[in-house]
Amino acid sequence: MSKNRVIGTLVALALLGAPLATANPFFHHLLIMVLFSTLLGVAWNLLGGYSGQVSFGHSAFLGVGAYATMLLHLKLGWSPWLGLVFGGALAMAVAVPIGLICFRLRGPYFSLATLAVAEIVRLVALNWESLTAGPQGLLITHLPELKLFGQAIDWETKIPFYYVIAVLTLLGMGVTFIVSQSRLGAYLLAVREDIDSAEAAGIDTVRTRVVALALSAALVGMAGGFYALYFRYIDPDAVFSVALSVEMVFIAVVGGIATTGGPIVGAIFLVTISEIFRERFQSGHLIFYGLFMMVIIRYLPEGIWGRLRFLLRLSTQRA
Amino acid sequence: MALLEVSNLSKDFGGLRAVSDLSFVLNQGEILGLIGPNGAGKTTVFNLMSGFLEPLTGSVRLDGHELVGLRPNAIVKRGVARTFQIVKPFRKLTVLENVVLAAFLHEPKRVAATAEARRILAMLDLTEKADSYASDLTLGQQKRLEIARCVATRPKVLFLDEPMGGLNPTEVEAACDLVLKLRGNGITVILVEHQMRAIMKISDRVLVLHHGVKIADATPESIVRDPAVIKAYLGEEAA
Repeated sequence: MSKNRVIGTLVALALLGAPLATANPFFHHLLIMVLFSTLLGVAWNLLGGYSGQVSFGHSAFLGVGAYATMLLHLKLGWSPWLGLVFGGALAMAVAVPIGLICFRLRGPYFSLATLAVAEIVRLVALNWESLTAGPQGLLITHLPELKLFGQAIDWETKIPFYYVIAVLTLLGMGVTFIVSQSRLGAYLLAVREDIDSAEAAGIDTVRTRVVALALSAALVGMAGGFYALYFRYIDPDAVFSVALSVEMVFIAVVGGIATTGGPIVGAIFLVTISEIFRERFQSGHLIFYGLFMMVIIRYLPEGIWGRLRFLLRLSTQRA
Repeated sequence: MALLEVSNLSKDFGGLRAVSDLSFVLNQGEILGLIGPNGAGKTTVFNLMSGFLEPLTGSVRLDGHELVGLRPNAIVKRGVARTFQIVKPFRKLTVLENVVLAAFLHEPKRVAATAEARRILAMLDLTEKADSYASDLTLGQQKRLEIARCVATRPKVLFLDEPMGGLNPTEVEAACDLVLKLRGNGITVILVEHQMRAIMKISDRVLVLHHGVKIADATPESIVRDPAVIKAYLGEEAA
């Protein structure tokens, strides 16, 4: 327990200090994107990693969170930060019926169903123009003033956004850690191992998976709210895209499935790699991205973090 | 007194009638052997009674409460547990973790669930294996682990699907003793088995299925002399 606490404190300190290392806004943007991706990976991992339910539709929750945050601000004048939290709650509420329907299916059928659900949600957002402005998208030109310790926060710089996403990411990791230590976490592993056996052990496998999905969706929904406020513009193809859903899967898989720390490693690798390749090869970067994914899946199926943990355990055993 | 009452249970697979109008009772404290040639519908009966399959018609009542229509986990909560013919332990978890998962049903706190799991492992002679991965156990041990997992859900009735299949004679002997021990602990048992000597030895009553139809329901002694049973197993001439 104390080892975990030490690691937790170190991570928190590193997060707190990171943006002070440089004044370069691109570096800040990179940090923000790493943390944003980490949060997505962490959230996806909660369901996909621990319970083995591979969702290809998580962008549905991201989009719901993003649109809720935007619309509550633009149409009802809510504080966007309150909207972000509400967006998470709404994504959670949307996740429950989706889970109750999709969890009747197993394995690849479940994955396909999530893909379909995300497409349905995207098409609704695209065509419900009176609410969402359709393909035109929504724009926030100016974020309302917010004071912290009597000081107005400057939303034109990236640093405040960095701290917001850092808090959300820590929240996500905290939730994952608590779940992994609890009865729910044990039940999720049982579901991943064998659904029939889990039922035979008296585990309500549908409820277990729905709870995990709801927690996962809430985190992704809040990430969506953050996305909306950070970029200040959203449209259905940006926040409901299949590519986003797939990226969440990649982050968790590359980092290490069913680990608390894995997604951060996955996010660092994927965000940096895609930025580097994007710079060098323009749109050809996707080829290298794909190649990298194939290498990872073939040679490191347990992910980078999973492999490191394994090596670390070996070396401590030998010592 | 009837603890479990099955009436008019039927199930079709496509055009095949797998279980046909099956009725029987299970009395408190009994060991009931369920036998029949391959394909007789024994496992299907277990799947119907434990909620893994939905019957076409019929009812299964535990203490008068209907079980048909409930999900498997809800049936386990009511006190009916089952093992699988092809063992399904949580392979990547340890033996202890396997049993703790089931013990969580009645002991939500990890410490209490672990204590309960250790007690059950001791009862099933699996204490030494507590920290081994389930996948590293022998088949006999895996079958005992499945029973341990069931016991952890505190069942009134336990369905054992071929707990002795694939075991050597010593292990079969031990499995017989185990079933008797479970009964001694107040668990009523239905047992599907092909090990005839074992089933004749420990069952109070034997029920014979053939093509999904009940052809006999009597004591082991009279079952072995029943012409219908001999015919089902060995053909017309033998009878």
